[in-house]
Amino acid sequence: MAIFGLWIINKAGGLVYQRNFAEGLAQLTSNENLVLAGTLHGIHAITARLSPMGPSSGAQVIEGETFKMTIFLTATGTKFVLLTSLNETIAEILLQRIYEAYADAVMKNPFHTPEMPIRSDGFDTRVTAIIGTG
Amino acid sequence: MTINSLYIFDRHCICVYYQDWHRTRRPKPAAEGGLLPGVSQAVSPGTSAGPSSGFDSPRNTLASSSGTVVAINEHTNPQLSIPMAPTGVTSTGLAFDEEAKLVYGVVLSLRNMIKKISGRDEQFTSYRTSSYKLHLFETPSGYKFVMLTDQKSEMMRSVLKQIYLVGFLEFVVRNPLIKMDSREQGIDNDNFRSAVDRYVRGLPNYN
Repeated sequence: MAIFGLWIINKAGGLVYQRNFAEGLAQLTSNENLVLAGTLHGIHAITARLSPMGPSSGAQVIEGETFKMTIFLTATGTKFVLLTSLNETIAEILLQRIYEAYADAVMKNPFHTPEMPIRSDGFDTRVTAIIGTG
Repeated sequence: MTINSLYIFDRHCICVYYQDWHRTRRPKPAAEGGLLPGVSQAVSPGTSAGPSSGFDSPRNTLASSSGTVVAINEHTNPQLSIPMAPTGVTSTGLAFDEEAKLVYGVVLSLRNMIKKISGRDEQFTSYRTSSYKLHLFETPSGYKFVMLTDQKSEMMRSVLKQIYLVGFLEFVVRNPLIKMDSREQGIDNDNFRSAVDRYVRGLPNYN
């Protein structure tokens, strides 16, 4: 049970928030993270078109051999991505709560410009609390 | 629990085999020249023009009366051909060759992404959406087995590995009439297709 990191990707595919928690995955530079977030944004759009049975959402969980990425897409197109170990069962719940914190601490902040990188101590604290208790 | 489709890609990013089971959203047949011959009868260009069109491989010199036919792709076995279900089938709006490229692109990108994030030689295994799940098994020789199932299916890598070990090695690798790595011919043959079909239909989650 480990939570490795959190990404928030805006609706244009830009990485607006990135934080690492537990060790265990590669330490990437911010530039590499930006590229990966952009790639994920594109893949997410394609996966919705490949459905063999009826309409489909984009990818929700992507699994490797030792970790998985849980993706939560909001109604406005923002993606919350949580990188966790494979046996982490509450990733979806954590993402919901992070979304709530985002709505409270970021969207209601009059000094925040939408779609721009998130620099908010209030949000950082709320995320730490959620991941810490999660 | 449902199994929908199986794609096999070789190391040159080319789709060399395709098979599907109860898909309700189907791709359009591939564009002329977009797909190698010998991938799948069901999605080859000009499938309506007759079974022999577009297939003029050297294998055609084998007459079915001359003994055992090991690899021939002119005639589909009636119970193996996938009939177009008359109702409830919609189109993905994509030609099959386009769809195969998208599948390969997604698999390759995710594979690289997983390697990059983990910082190790870690394999991408699967992803799921609200309606389906995609599984990947890659052989050391670079063949990629991709299977689409419903989203509740568990790990299918063992199944894909089994298809590789039993069907692929036996009826493709050990088949002298299959030109592997040729970039001009798929690996479709009746024995392989029926072996895969039999194996998949016997799975508990085939449905």
